[in-house]
Amino acid sequence: MRTPPARRLRNALAVTLAWTAVCAALFPLLDMAALVARHALPALRWKVLTTVTSGISGGLANAIAGSALLVVLAALIAIPVGVLGGTFVAERRSGAFVRTVRLAADVLAGLPSIAVGYFGYIALVQALGWGFSALAGALALALLMLPYVVRTTDYAVSAVADDLRDASLALGVDPATTVRRIVLRAALPGIVTGVMLGVGVAVGETAPLLYTASWSSFMPTGRLTHSPVGYLTYVVWTYINQPFAAAHALAYAAAFLLMVAVLMLNVAARWALRQRS
Amino acid sequence: MAVREVADGPGGRPIATGGAAGLDGALASPRRVRRPDDPQGMARPAVAAEAAGTAPADGGGTVLSAVDFHLRYPGLHALRGITLDLPSSRITAIIGPSGCGKSTFLRSLNRMNDRIPGIATQGRILFRGMDIFAPQVDPVALRRRIGMVFQRPVVFPMSIFDNVAYAPRIHRLERTSAGMWVRVERCLRDAGLWDEVKDRLRRPASALSGGQQQRLAIARALAVDPEVILLDEPTSAVDPVATGRIEDTLLRLAGRFSIVIVTHNLGQAARISQHTVFFLGGEVVEAGATEEVFSQPRDARTEQYLTGRFG
Repeated sequence: MRTPPARRLRNALAVTLAWTAVCAALFPLLDMAALVARHALPALRWKVLTTVTSGISGGLANAIAGSALLVVLAALIAIPVGVLGGTFVAERRSGAFVRTVRLAADVLAGLPSIAVGYFGYIALVQALGWGFSALAGALALALLMLPYVVRTTDYAVSAVADDLRDASLALGVDPATTVRRIVLRAALPGIVTGVMLGVGVAVGETAPLLYTASWSSFMPTGRLTHSPVGYLTYVVWTYINQPFAAAHALAYAAAFLLMVAVLMLNVAARWALRQRS
Repeated sequence: MAVREVADGPGGRPIATGGAAGLDGALASPRRVRRPDDPQGMARPAVAAEAAGTAPADGGGTVLSAVDFHLRYPGLHALRGITLDLPSSRITAIIGPSGCGKSTFLRSLNRMNDRIPGIATQGRILFRGMDIFAPQVDPVALRRRIGMVFQRPVVFPMSIFDNVAYAPRIHRLERTSAGMWVRVERCLRDAGLWDEVKDRLRRPASALSGGQQQRLAIARALAVDPEVILLDEPTSAVDPVATGRIEDTLLRLAGRFSIVIVTHNLGQAARISQHTVFFLGGEVVEAGATEEVFSQPRDARTEQYLTGRFG
């Protein structure tokens, strides 16, 4: 039986459109990655990774360490709170409280990050008197990560089939253990995706950190309060505006490191997930 | 709780002999179940009762009985006064057309319906003479003694071994890993799955076929040493060969466990059960020895259903 020509034409048209859309989505990403890499690679020397910034040049060691510190702290806050909160909402399923939490998470996700930064400045830096610090910056980042973790955990846990819960309960396993051992395990891939999304957002944020972590040209001191920290996005944001080639190179190097970090985190998470199953 | 006055079993012996107070205590306190020095504490009284001759050789002991049991979903009176004795160490088949309440009844027996919001029950269900809806009964502990296998095969996202070992680990039924291996092998053998999976116990259970997954679900249910196994149309989602294997498995288990199976497959009910209950419209129309129900039904509606005139 031959395919009618009209259908073959429609089919070809649809495939062409789909490919065009894929290219339109991928081109800006690849173009941007290429631009950053082209400018960054000549500037990336070992020295850049091991020395701190000084004036408009120097290295990125302080920013790398600071970014890592801020993101790890933020994740340590946002992941437990987000996963527990999302699981609670998903297992409770309905009611005014559940609807309120979901709405709050969605609103929080849409909040301008600069507003979160300013809130952090007023509440943490000033009112609580922490000063510009790693803890204030990490809390601001955690607040931005939280809705992603809550909502993806909520979706992932809600999507776990009731059959699995019933099968565990029917073995005389209590509901809390069932959630911990069966439901969360089944929902893990979705939760990891949400956590990675949140970490990606946190790694790339500048605005909330300007008001909370401020900036430092020195390595993090190890003190969580009253000690400003540097971070990579600050270098990207500030140094690209300087009229010096050395400053531009450093900004591109920082942007490149950020992209590589997010990529590696995602690859590592996916690899770890595959090892489990 | 005082031992309630309950209906006599067919053998003329009261159901709630001995052990009832002890059972009551065990069900009411889940902590006691997990005592490592008495891992099977809950199963023991029943076994003891049978060994002591409480259950006559003809299987006249009753493991579960419903007394004028009603269940209402919002807007639906699903079970309308079920009074029924389920024999110990036998296979009871529950048959009836779709929507007649047989699955709802089955899920009431281990209180799986508790999870459904807006549900209301009335009347009693007695497990070895004890009201399972009594306030001091812990449904979690009850479900350990009354296991359940569902219509759709469900495997946990973990290895074949871990699927079987999951609940025994949580209930701390084995103190050594050697003990756990013995238990897992025994349950897989009992479920007729051992030979097919013994070389790939560490592989994900999701790789098994539907019929194998259903037998794994049976092995998993056996792993906590239940007294009763409830099966809700366990073969409706698997092919005829797998159905045969599952039936063989159930026949092998029949002497050691009380089995209640809901089935749409009349041939299956006739092949494996000693006792048949016919549900219709949320009521029990007829209950009795399978041979009698199938060959000389007392109620005209039973005959009509068996001969395919409705349902």
